[in-house]
Amino acid sequence: MPLTREDVAGIADYARIALTPEELDEMTAYMNDAVALLDPIRQYDLEGVEPTFHPIGDLSNVMTDDVPDDEVRHLPVDVALENAGASRDRSFRVPSILGDQGGDR
Amino acid sequence: MAANFDQLSAREIAAGVANGDFTAVEVARAALDAVEARDGEVKAFLQVSADLALAAAEATDRARAAGERLGPLAGVPVAFKDNMHLVGTRTTCASRMLENYESTFTATCVQRLLDAGATPVGKTNMDEFAFGSSTESSAFHPTANPWDVARVPGGSSGGSAAAVAAGEVTVSLGSDTGGSIRQPASLCGVVGLKPTYGAVSRYGVVAFGSSLDQVGPFGRRVEDVALAMNALTAGGRDPWDSTSQPVACDFAAHLDDPIEGRRVGVVPALMEAAGLTDEVRDAVSAAARALADQGAELVEVDLPNIASAIAAYYVIAPCEAFSNLARFDGVRYGYQEPGQATLAEQTSLSRAHGFGEEAKRRQMLGAYLLSSGVYDTYYYPAQQVRTLITADYARAYEKCDVILMPAAPRTAFKFGELSDPTQMYASDMFTISNNIAGNGGVSVPLGLGAATGLPVSAQLQGPAFADARLLTFARAIERSFSPDGGAPVAPAFAGKGGELA
Repeated sequence: MPLTREDVAGIADYARIALTPEELDEMTAYMNDAVALLDPIRQYDLEGVEPTFHPIGDLSNVMTDDVPDDEVRHLPVDVALENAGASRDRSFRVPSILGDQGGDR
Repeated sequence: MAANFDQLSAREIAAGVANGDFTAVEVARAALDAVEARDGEVKAFLQVSADLALAAAEATDRARAAGERLGPLAGVPVAFKDNMHLVGTRTTCASRMLENYESTFTATCVQRLLDAGATPVGKTNMDEFAFGSSTESSAFHPTANPWDVARVPGGSSGGSAAAVAAGEVTVSLGSDTGGSIRQPASLCGVVGLKPTYGAVSRYGVVAFGSSLDQVGPFGRRVEDVALAMNALTAGGRDPWDSTSQPVACDFAAHLDDPIEGRRVGVVPALMEAAGLTDEVRDAVSAAARALADQGAELVEVDLPNIASAIAAYYVIAPCEAFSNLARFDGVRYGYQEPGQATLAEQTSLSRAHGFGEEAKRRQMLGAYLLSSGVYDTYYYPAQQVRTLITADYARAYEKCDVILMPAAPRTAFKFGELSDPTQMYASDMFTISNNIAGNGGVSVPLGLGAATGLPVSAQLQGPAFADARLLTFARAIERSFSPDGGAPVAPAFAGKGGELA
């Protein structure tokens, strides 16, 4: 069943990408073309086949002691902030998260 | 001596600097002069880092004057794909999203070339966030193929391939998630190696598909690529990339080992693939004969599941891309839409206006494929198909040392010729399965195609961590097809600027 314009609008909302009505039409056509390209995946009988999520099989998390180590490089706060669109003091600055504090940004 | 630096190999430049035949600063000035003379047409670069280049070259010359031992790439002009961080440059990924992003640290792959003495000439153009096969999705400008400026250089590492093909630098780095080193290398007539996943650190390279991405070098000679690999891996595994693997080997030491008695796999079904042009098929067949003439044994092997590799890739890669590019929310870095009342609106509009069309498409596809219910239909089965493709390769390598196949189905296409995104995806039909399996592959120039007169290439693929072996076979092809020792600089640009004082 092809994806509808409404389906794609829902995905765009989830992906946090605002689309204009025209872009939504183009994206719907693309999504259906792209999903059709994936059809060979559905033609397999994969009973009993293990998935390979990563080309290196035996990776595990790297754990270290939870103590500050000044030998280890880190990003100084001023460097971390220098590419931010908005900052204040030592923090990134964002608009209201809930949308009810419009005046205080 | 009066010579153009574009005729010198990396080894010759490093030796010339070490011997005092010329200085690293003279080579740096020659490369910057060549960029000045050539890049107006080629447009391979997004930024030229003249100050960094001259400072690095001066440091190399000072080290020589102080009697210090110079690195194996001393004075060699190099360029980096613009998804690699280098302090003192912006890292834009050819996206409006990162148009003003200043690198806050330097990628391990970049640092290791600098540590080997290389001179950083600049950052090269690419498809936006590496989504593409033509470099046309760069937000800033297209890059021209130096062999025909009306055509694309391939992609996504199109700027890095074009800069080497035009003789603007000796070596460059690209990244390859589905063919983004090997396909542009093929279209531009240069050598391009995608090493085995984990062989080169990805620390400081903007992530696209984290289980697929791998950094690798371009050069006009196999030896240049081998020397770059030595520099990239000599430092051992990188503690800053948890997938980095130790690769203790001298890539340059075995280039001229005989291939007599060694086995080269050929996949008959791939040589008859739909979309493969006659001139590419004929050239790859000639490469097979050349290897046989040097004593290699040709054996037929089968990779029955790689017909599904494009489908598996376009599940796995967009999902990983969606996950990786979620970080671009306009808060910590990247384009921030002004004047928004809520964080949700700021995020959605920053992403809408910061990303180009293909970057949005890939993320939308990934978001859909990872959504509840759809995951079980595509994502999980795609990872099972990945197991089958990996097993196909393992079986094939029981019968052969390397596999020979085309790198790209055709020579360079014109700007705008492949306007349908899903049609563009077929450009990687011969390269993509290797990323799925995590193995290494290399594009090797075979001269010019009989029909189009544009560069054609063979691709060699090998088992995991057999990248030095790939270069031995690549050198064997180079011996037969490039009697001058390497691929030529594209004739329209050779010798334009770049004279060594």
